[in-house]
Amino acid sequence: MKKLRSSAAYRIAFAYSAAIAIGIALLGTIIFWAMHIAFTRQLDAMINDEAQTLLLEYRDEGGELATAIAQREHIGQQGAKLFYAVFEPNGRRALGSLNTTMPQLGMHDIAFVDPSKGLDQARGLAIDLPDHRRLLVAADREWVEQIDRTVLVTFAAGFIAVIGLGIGGALILGGYLRRRLSAIGNAAEAIIGGDIRRRMPTSGRDDEFDRLAMVLNTMLEEIERLLENLRQVSSDVAHDLRSPLTRLRNALEESTLGGVTAAAREQVIAGAIVRVDGILSLFAAILRISEVESGEIRRLFKPVELSALITDLAESYAPAIRETGRSLTWSVEPGLTVKGDRELIAQAVTNLLENAQRHTRPGTDIHISLAYSAKWVRIAVADKGPGVAPADRDRITRRFIRLESSRARAGHGLGLNLVSAIVRLHRGHLGFADNAPGLVAEIELPRNP
Amino acid sequence: MKILLAEDDIEMAEFVARGLDELGHNVVRVCSGVDALHLATTEPFDLALFDRMIPEMDGLAVLRRLRAAKIETPVLLLTALGRIDDRVEGLEAGADDYLVKPFAFSELAARINALARRAPINAPVTRLECGSLSMDLLRREVRRDGEVIILQPREFRLLQELLRNAERAVTRTMLLERVWGFHFDPQTNIVETHISRMRAKLNEGGKRDLIETIRGVGYRMRQCEEA
Repeated sequence: MKKLRSSAAYRIAFAYSAAIAIGIALLGTIIFWAMHIAFTRQLDAMINDEAQTLLLEYRDEGGELATAIAQREHIGQQGAKLFYAVFEPNGRRALGSLNTTMPQLGMHDIAFVDPSKGLDQARGLAIDLPDHRRLLVAADREWVEQIDRTVLVTFAAGFIAVIGLGIGGALILGGYLRRRLSAIGNAAEAIIGGDIRRRMPTSGRDDEFDRLAMVLNTMLEEIERLLENLRQVSSDVAHDLRSPLTRLRNALEESTLGGVTAAAREQVIAGAIVRVDGILSLFAAILRISEVESGEIRRLFKPVELSALITDLAESYAPAIRETGRSLTWSVEPGLTVKGDRELIAQAVTNLLENAQRHTRPGTDIHISLAYSAKWVRIAVADKGPGVAPADRDRITRRFIRLESSRARAGHGLGLNLVSAIVRLHRGHLGFADNAPGLVAEIELPRNP
Repeated sequence: MKILLAEDDIEMAEFVARGLDELGHNVVRVCSGVDALHLATTEPFDLALFDRMIPEMDGLAVLRRLRAAKIETPVLLLTALGRIDDRVEGLEAGADDYLVKPFAFSELAARINALARRAPINAPVTRLECGSLSMDLLRREVRRDGEVIILQPREFRLLQELLRNAERAVTRTMLLERVWGFHFDPQTNIVETHISRMRAKLNEGGKRDLIETIRGVGYRMRQCEEA
């Protein structure tokens, strides 16, 4: 019972069926009274008609009242049975078979003795005759009572049926709601218990519960992705730090051994500083990525003159890239503006340019372009280098991913991950395609974010 | 120079103070924001270095109070936070420069020198000179020995930054920040390539190289008065 009371599902179902039952009871009462009053009126009208007819007959035709009454009592009427009595002014019943005492004038409920049933209720109209006798015409209430009883019994049965159906329905509905909800609850508990791959069950009916479950599942997937990311990053950071720190430690230890010249020691220290700087820049990159991923920088967004920025970057990088034996050309659609962080966009484009030169042979042509469509502006960095296999194109934006082909080269494997984070911050897309030959990296940013 | 250093990390404070002492500066050290505010409002300093996270009142709050009190001592904020919005916040609060920990001492020294040089400027500078080299900021013209040298806009800005800090080191990161507006470290040597192109233009005809490269730090305009 406590389970039923503490369950919102049962409470709602019970309250709902109770409301219907009360409605039925109310409706029954109203109908009962309306019918009761209507039938009583009808009965009164019939008695009145009968009394008037009798009176007219007696007065106009000068007929004998006794004969008329006897005749009527003998024939009997359809519907309600009528009774008659005529009283002397002294109260004695002179005519008619209605066994009762002399009533007041007007319409009343009266009691009489029914020869077959004993004391009974009737509705009667008493009027005074011109000869000071009093005529009573009465109708047995039996007829109205019977209708009343039928109505009452019908509604009582209906009421009981509704209560029964209500309780049954409430139990079924409540049970159903509890089952659906506890399925979600159980899944949540399993997830709390550590089974983060568990998902909310869906029934396939696409109802409210399914939609809730699907939203929760999307949320769980995002959480799982973030968790996985976090786990990956912490193990990668630990892994990536171990080897440079080990080398650093070894170099420093060696320099403390005897027989090392002051010049050599200085060289070791200089090398150590370079290594530490590398480690610090790795941390700076990780922190920058998490800052970008948090999305808080969006509040600092301002309009960025993208055309000017890309031209500027291309002009700044062209000499440096030319120095490495590659070439940089550009084609920039003028006058394009996006809302964002100028420096982050610059960093993203810079990273793409640096990737293009780091992963291609000297002599390679690199081209940067800025174009637009109805909704997007597209920054593309294309090279004629070796390209990236289609299977690897999705992987290269992940943290610390360095394809085997480039593992030997410098870099901490965070560049494209940062680009991807920056592009997501600007609600854009980052894609890689075949430049046949080579790779084209495309950043799409919304024109009116 | 008399420099106020507000830093609660003892090791860091000693590292900075020792280095500045060696450069001949007079360093006054405090460990809390309240002390920093008290000293900065009661004694004249040429420069103040505030750590952002110091006890009692953080560096940013001290800076805001100083600026509200119309004390215009140049302030360099030191911070362990390298976040973009922290930098924006720091500069909006009235910092003259912003340096993220960890930093090389040479970087700090160069920035302190640049700030000290900037302080007395009241009238806008329209002309920069160094020996035989002159830069007219209004006509955007550079001349060496009276001959006009055509520089690209970036090269002009680079030279302007070097000339403004003539005879003092300007670091690579300072140039990236001030010439390109980048607060990140691009792996490609854009500063180096621009300097070398500009150097070639300035020294055309085998003239004396005016720009000195300081290994691991940055660049410096050589002594302007030729001996």
